[in-house]
Amino acid sequence: MNCLEFRRQVGAEPFTADPAVAGHRAGCPACARHQDELQAMDRLLGKAMQVGWVPGIPAPRRWVAMAASLVAGVLVAATLWLSWPAPTLASEVIGHVMHEPGAWSAAGELPPAEVAEALDSSGARLRPGSGTVTFAKRCFFDRHWVPHLVVQTESGPVTVLLLGHRDVAAATHIDDQGFSAVVLPAPRGSIAVVGQNVAGLDAVARQILDAVEWDA
Amino acid sequence: MNDDPARRDRQRRFAALCEPLRPDLLRFAFWLARDRALAEDVVQDAMLRAWKALDSLDDDARVKPWMLTIVRREHARTFERKRLEVADVDALVEAEASVLATDEDAAVAEMREALFRLEDDYREPLVLQVMLGHSTDEIAMQLGLTRGAVLTRLFRARQKLRAALAGEGPETTS
Repeated sequence: MNCLEFRRQVGAEPFTADPAVAGHRAGCPACARHQDELQAMDRLLGKAMQVGWVPGIPAPRRWVAMAASLVAGVLVAATLWLSWPAPTLASEVIGHVMHEPGAWSAAGELPPAEVAEALDSSGARLRPGSGTVTFAKRCFFDRHWVPHLVVQTESGPVTVLLLGHRDVAAATHIDDQGFSAVVLPAPRGSIAVVGQNVAGLDAVARQILDAVEWDA
Repeated sequence: MNDDPARRDRQRRFAALCEPLRPDLLRFAFWLARDRALAEDVVQDAMLRAWKALDSLDDDARVKPWMLTIVRREHARTFERKRLEVADVDALVEAEASVLATDEDAAVAEMREALFRLEDDYREPLVLQVMLGHSTDEIAMQLGLTRGAVLTRLFRARQKLRAALAGEGPETTS
């Protein structure tokens, strides 16, 4: 199986158990990364398809729905416009982390090459000795594929997202749904660090920012 | 008449086999119709047809594909019977904004909208594969396509979604 055949097959069946796919994957890191990306997209797709449905509440008829949505839309939009703050980047990051629970439970230090692979396309590297990385993938976030790491620090595990496409003017910190998130300006875009009950998360985030090297 | 033991057995069989599938059928119908009210109508009519045709279901283990086929046909019939026009996708997105929106993760909402905008020929096999866990062969049987045609549609569906999420125009596919 060559790279083209591999990509055609995993493009249609990202979780295929075909031994030929597994064989090619083992010897081709670029194709392995491509399959990881497709699998990440499928996990997101699976969540997206699970639309909420409230049993027992009949759906409104078309004309009723249109009229109601027009009136409600104006009222809701006005209310939101006046009173509801837009979701912050930090809260979006927490939302993403909550949907990747498997990342937290990953155990065992990843080989440096695997970490480098996840960071490579973002033009970033992690300095040696920066901490034990137990998870390193590229995930869909805010319409972009971004490196998603879990780093075991002295204060506990933290999730790190390198958001090269999102500039922020200043550091922000939020606590939401049992998680804390810090977003810092970075040489390229921003970096988000998320933890649960991590003491001194702001300091941990700055240490991680210092541990990342960026291509010129 | 309601005391008829045969009818009671039939009701029990229907309740045990078909009713538990309702949430999946509603989601499937929603992704077919992209309209919650229409999806509920389709599933209600499909349930009625399933009740009437229950005796034709020979193998209880095949109830899910059997029901999905009924829902697909009912959806097609609904469009034919009501002479519904193909709606503008922007209007559909706006009308179903409450279903598409999620406060959990912006990426999920973006993916929902991208899926909403995907053409029917690509969206349906993808829903069967990802949401309902069907194999390529099962999708081919369900849609009356060859295995190769299903693989092509699944491949292109993902290409189109990736392009949409990356904010690109339609991709050309080989």
